[in-house]
Amino acid sequence: MEYLHRGTEEHFQQPSLLCSLMIRKPFLFLFNQPPGGPGPAQLSPSLAAMSLQSSTPEALRVVNLLQERNLLPPTPVPAPTPCLPQDLQKINCNPEVFRCTLTSIPQTQSLLNKAKMPLGLLLHPFKDLSQLPVVTSSTIVRCRSCRTYINPFVSFLDQRRWKCNLCYRVNDVPEEFMYNPVSRSYGEPHKRPEVQNATIEFIAPSEYMLRPPQPAVYLFVLDVSHNAVETGYLNVFCQSLLDNINALPGDSRTKVGFITFDSTIHFYNLQEGLSQPQMLIVSDIEDIFLPTPDSLLVNLNECKELVQDLLKSLPTLFGKTMETQSALGSALQAAFKLLSPTGGRMSVFQTQLPNLGVGALQSREDPNQRASAKDIQHLSPATDFYKKLALDCSGQQVAVDLFLLSAQYCDLASLGCISRYSAGSVYYYPSYHHQHSPAQVERFQKDLKRYLTRKIGFEAVMRIRCTKGLSIHTFHGNFFVRSTDLLSLPNVNPDAGFAVQMSIEDNLDDMQVVSFQAALLYTSSKGERRIRVHTLCLPVVSSLSDIFSGADVQAMTGLLACMAVDRSVTASLSDARDAMTNAAIDSLTSYRQSVLTIQQPGLLAPACLRLFPLYILALLKQKAFRTGTSTRLDDRVFAMCQLKYQPLFYAMLMIHPALYRVDDLTDEGALNINERTIPQPRVLQLSVEKLSREGAFLMDTGTVMYLWIGRNCHPNFLTQVLGVPNYAAVPENLYLLPELDTAESQRTRAFVGWLRDQRPFYPSLHVIRDESQLKANFMQNMIEDRTASALSYYEFLLHLQQQISK
Amino acid sequence: MILLTMVARVADGLPLAASIQEDEQSGRDLQQYQSQAKQLCRKLNAQSPDRCTLEAGDMNFHYLIAQGVCYLSLCEASFPKKMAFAYLEDLHNEFYDQYGRRVPTVTRPYSFIEFDTYIQKMKKSYVDSRARRNLGSINTELQDVQRIMVANIEEVLQRGEALSGVTKLCQSPVRP
Repeated sequence: MEYLHRGTEEHFQQPSLLCSLMIRKPFLFLFNQPPGGPGPAQLSPSLAAMSLQSSTPEALRVVNLLQERNLLPPTPVPAPTPCLPQDLQKINCNPEVFRCTLTSIPQTQSLLNKAKMPLGLLLHPFKDLSQLPVVTSSTIVRCRSCRTYINPFVSFLDQRRWKCNLCYRVNDVPEEFMYNPVSRSYGEPHKRPEVQNATIEFIAPSEYMLRPPQPAVYLFVLDVSHNAVETGYLNVFCQSLLDNINALPGDSRTKVGFITFDSTIHFYNLQEGLSQPQMLIVSDIEDIFLPTPDSLLVNLNECKELVQDLLKSLPTLFGKTMETQSALGSALQAAFKLLSPTGGRMSVFQTQLPNLGVGALQSREDPNQRASAKDIQHLSPATDFYKKLALDCSGQQVAVDLFLLSAQYCDLASLGCISRYSAGSVYYYPSYHHQHSPAQVERFQKDLKRYLTRKIGFEAVMRIRCTKGLSIHTFHGNFFVRSTDLLSLPNVNPDAGFAVQMSIEDNLDDMQVVSFQAALLYTSSKGERRIRVHTLCLPVVSSLSDIFSGADVQAMTGLLACMAVDRSVTASLSDARDAMTNAAIDSLTSYRQSVLTIQQPGLLAPACLRLFPLYILALLKQKAFRTGTSTRLDDRVFAMCQLKYQPLFYAMLMIHPALYRVDDLTDEGALNINERTIPQPRVLQLSVEKLSREGAFLMDTGTVMYLWIGRNCHPNFLTQVLGVPNYAAVPENLYLLPELDTAESQRTRAFVGWLRDQRPFYPSLHVIRDESQLKANFMQNMIEDRTASALSYYEFLLHLQQQISK
Repeated sequence: MILLTMVARVADGLPLAASIQEDEQSGRDLQQYQSQAKQLCRKLNAQSPDRCTLEAGDMNFHYLIAQGVCYLSLCEASFPKKMAFAYLEDLHNEFYDQYGRRVPTVTRPYSFIEFDTYIQKMKKSYVDSRARRNLGSINTELQDVQRIMVANIEEVLQRGEALSGVTKLCQSPVRP
């Protein structure tokens, strides 16, 4: 890979060797190295516990937030590099997979309390990796007492004994481990791949299985009420599954099944040999049963033609339905019965509030409360039906994914539980309609393709261990916590993120480093039992200034967002909002009182935390937490779900979207990937100040992109990129960039394509003019600006300053 | 009723394929039986009898060893022995045909888990009541089932009676 050095940057970003090994995307900022080689921040401390030297490292450079206006780096904010000796940091876990809010761990709980920053880990354990070392070994070497897997951060006392880095127990090196199959040498256990790679996968022996590996089993549960047919989603779903039927992860044992429902539940007998699929209707929804013992879940290979026939006929089968009722609860119960013998994945498609039978929900959203400036009601489930069913599913290794395609309120706060506790995921397409929202249709199609074909793990469990003295107390994400620290994941997918909060139970005296290990045991779609292990090592420090200099502002923001979602549901939204503001106040107060040597006027922050108030304000204005601006309840709840579920990189895009000017893209500083030139415009602050009537601006919020066209936008852009003669001719609902044979069009599409390629879900694009209906959505993301219900960034800073000075 | 079927390599007890009764009705906790099945496969060796029935409460384990591979099934005590061994024999013929060559070389557990599809089909044909009547006129060349050894599973696993070779018992699956 090659790229052109960008002269305007502060830092020269150099992808490391680790980057090329682990990351498929060729350009990812991993390590933050100042120009001219290692600087003070890179001085490897001989003892990590020692305070840093007299020259202030970049991370602790004092910034007066009231004066420094250009805080955003021109490129995405990189993860901070832990302050470890180079030989350790070189093999440390990739921060895209495993990241800590504080890259320098406080030695004691009281020190952590003084710092007033949250301590936690953010993980993306099943992320798609381009390179993954896989080990097949008769012995998987683990610590005798704490069961930690041997990893790069253990110490070898001699060739035959190793010391666990989590519990310090001395273990024997098994004889088989003395031989290194990679180098074919004997006597150097520390050179084995398990000790050279912080991320590794083992093929598990049969002791790691409760039962023979299950096959891939996919069950689709489809709403076929009148409303559902109206939206037209069924056509897209059936076509998508037909297109991808041969790409579903699995092997010759893969099974599929279908259930459709309205006021009754419909099953489909797809037994090999039938001339066509046979529909079986069960109308006793109060006491649901399976109408036939076999052939409702069939072997995909053997019954493929019948499955295809069914998919071709389903959309028209219900074309004339007048059914308005939806017995979702019963359908889920039926689906559970069908899947519970084997386990597998349930994909549920729902387009309205379930209103019949068990699990029926009320429309409890009050539209008049959408813009409430006070507390928001109905954030917690109305019934425990969905949670209970999710737990039952979890017990039988069934995960439930929910696709909500509705224009009306569906009580996602209640429905979402079905995915949350069964390790499923929620997809949300508000106002989905095949004619009225083509952008949603495109997004649904692309999302489905990813969903159906992405890697999947079954009957999984995950455990996170940390060095003695540290303990994990709260978990965030979609799963069920079984027995204190074992996460039950009936399905594990490569797009799920997790977070945990930690506390320091015993002082970490005499420790220079601590380690964290996440072990994910799962069955692959081909029936292989595997264990993916990630190990992260971080230094321990005893001074507050060292703690501050290692703060990871994005990880902190991500974790606070998870905590705030919980607080909103268990206490209240205003409580959660206050807590977030206090997080900014407290940490900056602590900095001012305990770290800052020279008192200066202004609102002072260390450089590594300079974006913290901005991110907190962004959270306060995020759909999940905002007040005073009309927000549909389901939209809000979905935003909350996403903040807890998305891996950090995507969560940050949701929280603080990226804004770029795109009417003047150049090749200067562009990336060269696969012979395409990808322009790299600067990231701009989210303020209308940065917009210009003469320009066009792209805002990337993760799942949606807005291309805002200024009123006096240069005609060149309009003609060469949008293919229209003038501003007035820009269509109202343009949601894709025409493929024009101009340099400008190619550059723009290359840039947008590159952004899209970096994520597993598909962001829809909306081209908007000033008069567009979507302008409000665009403007709502201008976090730094004042609105009727919220402070501007500067005002927020003043508010913080006032609180800190008290 | 055949509740559990397991195919394992005799030399080291490595599981090659398996099928557990997928039925909400039978709903038994097969965990314990699975564990016994695994232990049993580990205990078998070249000296073990090549056909045996082991009593386990109101169930029977039947196994057949052929060409270094053990075919084991757990059946209700009422399930006729003749049928059980005909079933295992059928499994052997098909399994050996498809995978026999590769058995000595594999290292990963359940390398031939895809055989499960065949096991399920086979099981159905033996269990389905109409088929049972047909199979009543079973292969008369089948070894005289009277001569098949019968023992008690508990004794065999604990004391190693009738089956030589002692291996470490695995009580419960390892923590991840």
